[in-house]
Amino acid sequence: MSIKVYLVDDHRLFLSGVKAELDSDFRIVGAAYDVDTAIEEIRGLRPDVVLVDVHMPDGGGIAVVEGVTETNPDVKFLALSVSDQAEDVIAMIRAGARGYVTKTIEPADLAGAIQRIHAGDAVFSPRLAGFVLDAFAGAIPSDDDPELDQLTSREKDVLRLIARGFAYKQVARKLNISIKTVETHVSSVLRKLQLSNRHELARWASKRRIV
Amino acid sequence: MEPSATAWSFDAHRRRSDRVVAGVAGGIADSLGVRDGYVRAAFVTLLTIWGLGGLLYLLFWLATYEKVEDRRIEPVENVRAIGLGIAFTGLLFLLGAVGLWPSSVVVLTAAALAFGTAALTDPSSPGPFAALMDPEVQKVGKARLVLGIVLLAGGIIMFSTAVGRVFELSVVFLAVFLTGLGVFVAFGPWVRRLLGDLSAERGERIRQEERAEVAAHLHDSVLQTLALIQRSDDPQRMAMLARHQESELRDWLYGIAPLDGVDLVSTALKQAAARVESDFQIPIDVVTVGDAAVDDRTRALVLAASEAMVNAAKHAGVDRISLYMEVQGEDVQVYVTDQGKGFDLGGVPSDRKGISESIRTRMERVGGEVAIDSVAGEGTEVMLKLAP
Repeated sequence: MSIKVYLVDDHRLFLSGVKAELDSDFRIVGAAYDVDTAIEEIRGLRPDVVLVDVHMPDGGGIAVVEGVTETNPDVKFLALSVSDQAEDVIAMIRAGARGYVTKTIEPADLAGAIQRIHAGDAVFSPRLAGFVLDAFAGAIPSDDDPELDQLTSREKDVLRLIARGFAYKQVARKLNISIKTVETHVSSVLRKLQLSNRHELARWASKRRIV
Repeated sequence: MEPSATAWSFDAHRRRSDRVVAGVAGGIADSLGVRDGYVRAAFVTLLTIWGLGGLLYLLFWLATYEKVEDRRIEPVENVRAIGLGIAFTGLLFLLGAVGLWPSSVVVLTAAALAFGTAALTDPSSPGPFAALMDPEVQKVGKARLVLGIVLLAGGIIMFSTAVGRVFELSVVFLAVFLTGLGVFVAFGPWVRRLLGDLSAERGERIRQEERAEVAAHLHDSVLQTLALIQRSDDPQRMAMLARHQESELRDWLYGIAPLDGVDLVSTALKQAAARVESDFQIPIDVVTVGDAAVDDRTRALVLAASEAMVNAAKHAGVDRISLYMEVQGEDVQVYVTDQGKGFDLGGVPSDRKGISESIRTRMERVGGEVAIDSVAGEGTEVMLKLAP
């Protein structure tokens, strides 16, 4: 049974392109060009994975993620964007998206990312890895949960290699660990990114106008 | 802190041409934007106050460098000159107040004569001495010798007079100083020439470094463009490349550094990546963590990274390149990564200057490190690092 995928993007041309690329590997259950239609349809169709554009009118991808997660927390989101704005991307992740890739991604890599998201792992593009390293830079642990507020040195190693453009498989080989371990590290970083109330992260975020 | 064109920017230098003694006064005049004659007059006046002028002249001489190119600054005069004049008068009063005042007659006479001469010889107000000061008529060498001998004789006479009387310490000092000054004025140029030979070797080394810099730049820009033009069979694209190169070369030759106006390394790297992207039509993923200011060292880093990207675009046979920069404290690291052909590092011919000259030499000149990791069939990664 193939993975049910739903697409949300206000650029119709891009949407039809992605649809064509993914059609053979996935079941595309629907697509929307605006936020309200997307939330309504996703609630009804219950896809496995939603590809959602970060920048859209009426609240953007973050509104879709928040609106759906309220009622259907099991739907998984992969953020997709041409934009490089750190604040938007981090906000999407903090709202619940499990990964972020840029629209320049190769079709095969996009397919791999969808499968990975469906399997419950996180998908970090080089850019997202860079954003996260930036957000967690510095060493001021907060008092309530220090474990959540800092990246381990291994996690940083993994993120740096991803930022340098290496795929998970190559990261695993370079660090002499298994792909599964790389995935575990990345998921752990995702959890920290979503749950940390890290002082620095909050300041970094507000500096870039995220709440 | 923003320096503007009209702001004071004191460039501590000595003039190489159009100088009387060693170009110190001329250099100060150029830096302050006033006529050199008045600065010389100020030195002469201070000279009468226990030789203070000579001491200051020596100190300035030691603290300045000789400026080779003669980009004379046109005097600004008027308001600034008046201001400096008031400040100088204040200095004289101050010296008087702290008891450094030999004789009002001597100081004031010297000041009157010196500034009077300066005013008369001011090229902006033609007077009887203006013709004498014309560079074509000037015989600085002879004048210097005559002045030196006069001062030497005066010093010796004063010294012997002082010895004949009671040892008036101050007169002795003045006499010794005048003697020394005479020797300095008469033989100064000869001594300086000897010292000049010693620094000639250093100068040669600096010239060689500059030559390497020029070669590296030409390699990065002009040679790359020529190579691209040779490969291209689209006349429109050739013309575009040539135009682009022409304007860039002009900017470089006439003093506008390619990174001017960019103050962050991340921005400079993004610009460099954008340029490689458009020249080679290969997307470059730029990821930056932290940031640093553009200075001479990071500028070299950006140019080296740019060269690494060009190499990857040309030789790796890939459709995407990754550029990663991370700043941690004072350390700046840049990785240029491709998943392309890779190569055998030992197999690069030495006349292919790309890696050896542009990247390695550039980085080593600013005390940075380069590590190139390449596996045939898997890709290449160039690591550039600057540590304090």
